[in-house]
Amino acid sequence: MTTELFNEEFKNNIGQLKSFLVRITASVADAEDIVQDTYIKALEKISTFRGESSPKTWFFTIASNLAKDNLRAQKRWVENVTDITKAAALNNKQFFQEAMQIRMTSPHGQFEAKEHIAFCFTCISKSLPLEQQLCIFLKEVYEFKVNEITTILGTTEAMVKYYLHTGRSKMINIFDGRCALINKEGVCHQCSELNGIFNPKQNTQEELMKIDLVKEAEKGEKEHLFDLRMQILREIDPFKSKASELQLHHLEHNRQVMEKYSEKSAE
Amino acid sequence: MTSLKEQNTKATTVRTTFSRETSVSIEIKADSAIVWALLTKASDYTRWNSTVTSLEGEIILGEKIKLKSVLDAKRIFTLKVKEFEPEKKLVWGDGQGNRIYTITKNGNGSVTFSMTEKIGGLMFPMYAKMIPPFDQSFEQFANDLKKESEIIMNSK
Repeated sequence: MTTELFNEEFKNNIGQLKSFLVRITASVADAEDIVQDTYIKALEKISTFRGESSPKTWFFTIASNLAKDNLRAQKRWVENVTDITKAAALNNKQFFQEAMQIRMTSPHGQFEAKEHIAFCFTCISKSLPLEQQLCIFLKEVYEFKVNEITTILGTTEAMVKYYLHTGRSKMINIFDGRCALINKEGVCHQCSELNGIFNPKQNTQEELMKIDLVKEAEKGEKEHLFDLRMQILREIDPFKSKASELQLHHLEHNRQVMEKYSEKSAE
Repeated sequence: MTSLKEQNTKATTVRTTFSRETSVSIEIKADSAIVWALLTKASDYTRWNSTVTSLEGEIILGEKIKLKSVLDAKRIFTLKVKEFEPEKKLVWGDGQGNRIYTITKNGNGSVTFSMTEKIGGLMFPMYAKMIPPFDQSFEQFANDLKKESEIIMNSK
């Protein structure tokens, strides 16, 4: 591959790479760093690229390895991350002032429940073992096939299937228990609460009913509801969407809270 | 999880004065890595295994795990992982006995999963009647493992 073609391929994939990395790391700074390191590493190895996999698979392989190195030393988050971070946000006036400022001034500061659903999935997926989290994003959001994921993660097809199945089952179980959008008894109402704060003139219930995941919730088909949730993630670019600045600000808040939470629980 | 009606394997128990040994075997049409992963991920047991109500700890050689089973809901069994041969053999147990799990590749893409538990000792006759039979629970365990492994293996 020529350097010119390489640069073009990298440019074509950079959006998906950044999106994947921010969802895996929950850190814009880490995602940016890993994308840069991926570029450097790939360029160094350009002569070894034989086209056995697509450039996208190749870039994701390098990026996933770098992300794994970055994340191995960090503690995984917990299933009730949104409870912990909500409690911290309620005690943090500055967080809400900043968020409101973004909401009022930024072209990427809209609040949309759909965006929050994707954001919420990002946070909760960090409670899965890393391999399960990686497999779910690679397959369900970035639409790699199982055999491509074996290349990206350097593991067997059997293990990719195991990670996918167990990760998916756990996420279905968590959302089924917590998410008030799909379970009337669910304890987490954050999309509705935040919509009320950021879009006070909207009828939140009406807005929520525009989302397929919510419309289909009554039917209670858990696998299907999970697929609809994944569809929401596929449709949203966390760096370019209308709500990106607001959601990334929220994500940074959660990352900092969870970092402190992990330090505290390690004491 | 597997219902009793779906069970297609039969456990056997051999009793002597001082011991009791229950075994079950089943063919699983799945990669040994999947069966092993399910057997050794403690935090995931209750999701697929209807005979285990709680399993704490890490299934690693030398580690202790705390297991609660449907056989005796009130009792917590503290067990030590005594052997750990990836994709082949896992043994955990306590002073009363050992539970041995083996996975044998059949060469046709399937494996034979077996589990055996022998309990006994000189005092065995004193408490033998207080220990419930394991047969049904073993059959359920093996069938749950088969079902979950094959679902994963056949997933796209």
